[in-house]
Formats: sequence, structure tokens, C-alpha cells
Amino acid sequence: MTIHPAPTGHALPVHPRQERPDTTSAYDSTWTEQPTSQAPDGLDQMMGAGGKIYVVLAVVLLIWFGLVTLLVRTDRKIGRLERRLGETSSEDASSETQ
Amino acid sequence: MARSSPSPVVNHRLYRLVRATVAVLLTGVILAGFLGRIPELDILEQSARNLYFHVPMWFTLMGATIVSAYHSLRYLQCGDRLRDLRAREAAWLGLIFGILGIITGMVWARFTWYEGTGKWWNFDPKQSMAAVLLLIYGAYFVLRDSIEEPDTRGRIAAVYNLFAVVTMPFLLYIIPRQLPSLHPGGEGSPAFSQTDLAPAMRWVFYPSVLGFLGLFWLLYTQRVRLAWIRDQLRDTPDL
Repeated sequence: MTIHPAPTGHALPVHPRQERPDTTSAYDSTWTEQPTSQAPDGLDQMMGAGGKIYVVLAVVLLIWFGLVTLLVRTDRKIGRLERRLGETSSEDASSETQ
Repeated sequence: MARSSPSPVVNHRLYRLVRATVAVLLTGVILAGFLGRIPELDILEQSARNLYFHVPMWFTLMGATIVSAYHSLRYLQCGDRLRDLRAREAAWLGLIFGILGIITGMVWARFTWYEGTGKWWNFDPKQSMAAVLLLIYGAYFVLRDSIEEPDTRGRIAAVYNLFAVVTMPFLLYIIPRQLPSLHPGGEGSPAFSQTDLAPAMRWVFYPSVLGFLGLFWLLYTQRVRLAWIRDQLRDTPDL
């Protein structure tokens, strides 16, 4: 992977009251190997909108889906256990009546 | 309610306390994570907020693997089957959080640094090493499932688990930090250094790590309780 430092002197929209930290240049460098000159399309355009806030939304949703999957799996485990308990208790009941 | 009956698995009072704390903490993290102000950086822009959600996945995996290894060690010492169940459930949840970490990282990089390239996997050293770690933990379950006899399975799985946890710091920290990476950490400890994390973000990031660790503990305790009941049922066929 090659690291291309961000071009210096490149004017960027910075919030007027917020000072840009100069210690975070590592995060600002361009990591892509391909030039990003072409206009974003489709999925990229959607995810890049609103300052890439939708990337955060996607990440939070993925974690949420993971947690829901866990919930469903635990429920299934409980269900299996309940069925087994039901089987054993009905066997007990039938053996008592004999 | 017979809630106060002593359980071999969990202190119910502690469990309820942690559950309430996690609910409040993570609700706050989501609100502050989306609404709080963050420094404006190029490329990252608003996606820097992913720090609050992607990074805690890895802290949780780390915590889970350490909990799992601790119980494997105790299992080797005393042979208590509950220890084996604890080690298995912690490793399983660690794997789940690791998978969530990998997927969230892929999405973050794909639409931030690799925007417009269509690259979902960029072979960042940390990404690749994390994938190796997940494979190592996946093998733990393959190994478990391949042994029928419970005591042999517990013992062999515990030894393997101790090997697995030793690889964790190398694969997640030591090797990735020697190489140029998208991830911070080449120069020191990014979580605590004064320059890598804006002060305002610390107030969301640290609670988020604690919240997800707490969430792990809740899920882990639930699963151990369930596994313990199932184990007891197996022992009493004429219940």
C-alpha cells in the first residue's frame, strides 16, 4: 500500500469557530492508490452525502443487526430447552398414569 | 419472586445493575455519538464518529478472549465443567464481536478512504491480522466439535484456547503497528495519547468501550446460564 500525503495549501471548508488540529495529518493523507477524480456514483454518492454521516449509520445498523441475530439465536436455544423440558415432563406424567 | 435463589452462574443483583448501566450508557453513546461535535478533518469528515462504534468492537473482542482464556486456565486447574462452558461462551461472543468489527471496518474504509474505488478489502495490516485472529478462534470451535468425550474436549480446547489468546496481542497490536496502516498506533498508544483523540471525543469513546464491554458481559452471562441449565439437564435423563 502506498501512502500519498494530502496536498498542502489545499483550501478546505473549515468551520469558522473550530480550529483545525494540525497533529492529525496521518488521518488526512490520501490512502487510495487510484486517483479519485471521477465523480462518485450510486452507492458511493449515497454514502458520501452529508459529510459521510451515512457511513456511521451503516456501521451502527450493522452492529444492531448483529445484536438482533444474537437475540434470535438465544431465543431459539431457550425454545429447544423448553421443548426438551416439555418432553421429559410429559414422559413423567405418562409413566405416572401407567 | 424466587429471584434471590443463589445461582452458581451469576449474582442477579450485579446482573441487573450492569444491565441498567449498559442501557443508559449505550443510549447516551448513540445520542452523543451522532449529535456531539467533532473536529473537522478531510476524508474522515463525519465518519470519524465510527470511532465510537467500530473500535469498541475490538476492545470487546479483547476482553472476551481474556475472559475465555482465564476460564480455560481455571478449567485445566480444577476440571470444573462450568469453567469450560464459560470459556466457550466468551470465545463465541468474542468471535461475534470480531466479525462485527471486521464488517464495520470494511464498510468504514470502503466509503471513506476507498470511496469510489469499490474496494471492500484493502489488506490493511490490522485488517488482515484481525482476520487471521478470527480464523484462529473459528478453529477453536471446529476443534471442540470434533471431540465427543466432554472431558477430553474440555482439556484439549482449553490448551488450544491458551495458545489462541497469546496470538491476540501480536495480531492486533504488535505486528500491525510495525507496518504502514490506516489504523493509528504506529507512534504510540492512540487511545490515550494527547494528540490522536480530541478531548471532546474521549467523553463518548471511553463510555462506549465500557458500555460494549458491559453488553458483552450481559450476553455472556445469559449464554452461560443457558448452557449450564442444558448441561444439568443432560446429567439427569430421568428428570
